[in-house]
Amino acid sequence: MKRQLWYKAIVRDRNGKVLSRENRRSRSILGNWYRILYAHMAFTSTSLIHTSGVDRGAIYFGDNWKFKADANEDSIGIVIGTGIAAVSIDDYKLDSQILQGTSSGQMRHLVSTPGWPSVAGSNCDFLTSRTFLNNSGGSITVRESGIYCRVKGPTYYGYACIVRDVLATPQAVPDGGSITIDYTLRITA
Amino acid sequence: MTEKMKLKEGLSYEVVVRDKRGKILEKIAASSQSYVSVWNQCLYVLNRHTSYTITDTGGTGRSVSYSSSVLRANAGVGEIDHGIRVGKGTTPITINDYALEAPCGEGTGVDQFLHQAMAASSPAVVVSDCSFWVRRVMVNNSGSTISGIREIGCYVMTKYSPRYCALGYRDVLPGSVSVPDGGSVTVTYTLKVTV
Repeated sequence: MKRQLWYKAIVRDRNGKVLSRENRRSRSILGNWYRILYAHMAFTSTSLIHTSGVDRGAIYFGDNWKFKADANEDSIGIVIGTGIAAVSIDDYKLDSQILQGTSSGQMRHLVSTPGWPSVAGSNCDFLTSRTFLNNSGGSITVRESGIYCRVKGPTYYGYACIVRDVLATPQAVPDGGSITIDYTLRITA
Repeated sequence: MTEKMKLKEGLSYEVVVRDKRGKILEKIAASSQSYVSVWNQCLYVLNRHTSYTITDTGGTGRSVSYSSSVLRANAGVGEIDHGIRVGKGTTPITINDYALEAPCGEGTGVDQFLHQAMAASSPAVVVSDCSFWVRRVMVNNSGSTISGIREIGCYVMTKYSPRYCALGYRDVLPGSVSVPDGGSVTVTYTLKVTV
């Protein structure tokens, strides 16, 4: 059985010219992924630290795992950051997230929508992608990426970090440029 | 990127056969062969917050929308539309499998088991692993040995009402397992990720 997560980072300048790219197997699906999975499979609740840093838990709920994100939303979907802390199984947020905006150190977050699952040969893939625009007035170096999803605890709604990667090569995004992060979840029978 | 840095995500199973006194007759433990495409389709429905046509265990495409019941496997006593199942099929797994090939039914007739309630452990973190297991005991009160058990798998719910269920993962065992009358077979799947 193979179940893999891949990510791809592509940096472009303001004219769309590709400046750099990185394509690797993801470092990690985190423990929170499995906590939500458990809540659904066992139809119960469990402990889970939300991105707020507080243990609000997870319970079976239809909104769980949602990471489709609208433009300008930086609390859900694919997210990026500048942190370099090594990934650990209990990470609950990025080390240092790049927030939505056009101020120094901020990037504009476009929509993030998972694509249809497709079967080719013995693989079943689905891809989710998000582009971030740098209109901050200066260069920003992206060093980490991840996925935040919606999660509901027994009492509170929130967000959970379910995937986090530290990029093998820091990706400098020039002012006016962009970085696109793709995550592909693949099952191979 | 070095091998040590790669994500390891594992699904493994253990099959234990016991006689009527609880004595272990056989034990098989191995890495699971496969999640099937339904698994990614269920995740897609939840991730995108949308609807998708997913083939149910009867082979019929069903429109499924995000809900709390997607991936639910906590079947109760006697419930066989979701939860762990065993069967006699031997056909190798394909990505589009939608059911066990020849699942054993519920009851005390020939080749039938009494399916006990599913059990699950809470997720546990040990160093860089996070894992939990799901388990089911199936008791043979058919009056004779049930032989030729070759496949196991887990059905998951995709919709609560009307009830639709689909195959999440399936394995073909390396050899046949026989469960004596009065005995039981216990199947445990462990889902684990390592960073």
